Amino acid sequence: MAKKVLIIDDDVNTVKFLSVALEENGYEPLGAYDGKEGMEKITTESPDLIILDVMMPKKTGFALFKSLRRSEEYKNLPVIMLTGVAETLEDLDSQSESTFERPYDSLREKLRVTIKSLKEDGLVKPDMFIDKPIDPEEVVAKIAGIIGK
Amino acid sequence: MLKRIPIFWKLSFAFFAIILLVLALCSLFDRCGEALLGEIQFIIITIFVSLILSCGASWVIVRSLIKQPIQKLARSMNRLTEDDSDVYLGEDEKDEFSLLISSFNEMASKLAKSQKELRNNKDFLEGILESTADIIITVNPDGKILTVNSGAEKTLGYSRTEVISKPIEMFFANPRDRQHALAQLEILDNVVNFKTKFVKKDGQIRDVLLTISRLRNRAGEIIATIGISKDITREKQLQTQLIQSQRFAAIGQVFTGLQHSMKNMLNACKGGAYMIRLGLRKDDRKMFEEGWEITSEGIDRLTDMSLDMLKYVKEWKPNLKRVDLSKTLSEIHRLIEKTAKDRGVNCKIRLLPDLPGVECDARMIHTAVMDITSNALDACDWKDYPENESPEVIIGAFADEYDQEFVIEIEDNGCGMTEEVKANIFTPFFSTKSKIGTGLGLSITSRMIEIHDGRINVESVPDIGTRFRIVLPINCLNGIKEKTNGEKSPDNR
Repeated sequence: MAKKVLIIDDDVNTVKFLSVALEENGYEPLGAYDGKEGMEKITTESPDLIILDVMMPKKTGFALFKSLRRSEEYKNLPVIMLTGVAETLEDLDSQSESTFERPYDSLREKLRVTIKSLKEDGLVKPDMFIDKPIDPEEVVAKIAGIIGK
Repeated sequence: MLKRIPIFWKLSFAFFAIILLVLALCSLFDRCGEALLGEIQFIIITIFVSLILSCGASWVIVRSLIKQPIQKLARSMNRLTEDDSDVYLGEDEKDEFSLLISSFNEMASKLAKSQKELRNNKDFLEGILESTADIIITVNPDGKILTVNSGAEKTLGYSRTEVISKPIEMFFANPRDRQHALAQLEILDNVVNFKTKFVKKDGQIRDVLLTISRLRNRAGEIIATIGISKDITREKQLQTQLIQSQRFAAIGQVFTGLQHSMKNMLNACKGGAYMIRLGLRKDDRKMFEEGWEITSEGIDRLTDMSLDMLKYVKEWKPNLKRVDLSKTLSEIHRLIEKTAKDRGVNCKIRLLPDLPGVECDARMIHTAVMDITSNALDACDWKDYPENESPEVIIGAFADEYDQEFVIEIEDNGCGMTEEVKANIFTPFFSTKSKIGTGLGLSITSRMIEIHDGRINVESVPDIGTRFRIVLPINCLNGIKEKTNGEKSPDNR
């Protein structure tokens, strides 16, 4: 039976082309367009992996992620987070300081704080961050690396 | 008692005493001498002895009463002229000399006091000159260095002896700078903060701010030129660094924002391209077309962004006419109502009757209100509404009680903004919804309103809603003319 991958992103196009790529590689893609719908699909469909966008209406990706990690049932569910600021998370554990204040420094700081709070809460951070623009084949390869074919 | 007798009486008394003594001697000789000598011999000897005694007495009197005090006085005056202010003569007697000495002492005391004050002032002024880190140099009318302070020695690396009497041009990296400064000095009393460069002894260049003044004597003749220079090399370096870092920061901010906006557009292009490739490989026309659609969407958004960037940097020339903005707002409501309904948002309009016409560019106001209204609809999309609340956007307008300002309100009960987001919404490429829009919408909107001499106020509470208030002056024609006509604006001259 094909493994289910749930894509939660308010960008219809991303859901569409990722679904095509997943289907092409033998996965069963599922789509949701905001955090609330995503949570419903998780409970009804029990996916094997979630591709989760950070910036989303109704319930942000991180809010959804936190509630997943806190629940006994889904705390070990693999999650790949799509974020436009993934590169800023690379130095998440380093002490390097940015020279200039950038408009997204505040977002980076928020992510930093969120990840830190995850650690403090004893929650496992997302399995992977992938930056946009995403290459569908690359995403599929990474999914295979986490949950297999 | 004797000390109080004036010198005239002292001399008179002395002569009288000598005469009495001579007479006494005469009477003594008279009695004893006549017996031994002849009368003529006796007279001659008497006169001779009297003369010797008189001269001797006179010499003693003059020496002790006149010569010695005068010599003492002369010596003291010499000491005074030799800058020894600590001169005091004892006032033993109260004769004319004592009075003279008393006057002398008084004069010496006053002189000593003045000298002390003068020395203190001199020390004080020299202290200022020497303790300051500024370069202070005086130059004679021939351009030769007269004095340099320790600040100059330290900054320029020369000792005083090396530079005194040398031409002042030796310090200037470009000697013509001094000529320029002096030319200004011919017109003005002072040349203040003249920017120039000095050369140190080791060849290093220092940036300085030079202030030059003329020094004149009591007759008004120029005796020297004083130059006070402040070494601003460090400040200039820091300023350059600051400008550079601000420039980098500004460029960095734009690049980061731009890249963030482009990522989502490129995401569509990349995903669409994948589908096109797959469609071609599998000969699946539907997939090919879907892929093409996604790619086109990405390309369209990139095109929009490019146009918005042009729009943002272009020169704004509003086409001003008195416009009934009620009609403009009603049209916007009509255009947006259906889209809003499709997205589950109830879009309402509330206009007060008899609103005044506003002098503005109707197209710009239309674009601005449309942009804010579509943001309001997006804000509704982002909120997870409780059961007793439904998404709502209200467009409203009113004029202030004096008919001076026209206010357009766009209110939503959407997701609202944090203070941090609210503070940045007009910053180019700051966007919380990078998957739609170009990141420039509100920046352009705010410029459109500013050019009308108007303003945008924003009130927002997270999860409660947001109210944008566009305030336009009803009669702003003159202000705009000045702002848009670069030649006439004093700021742009």
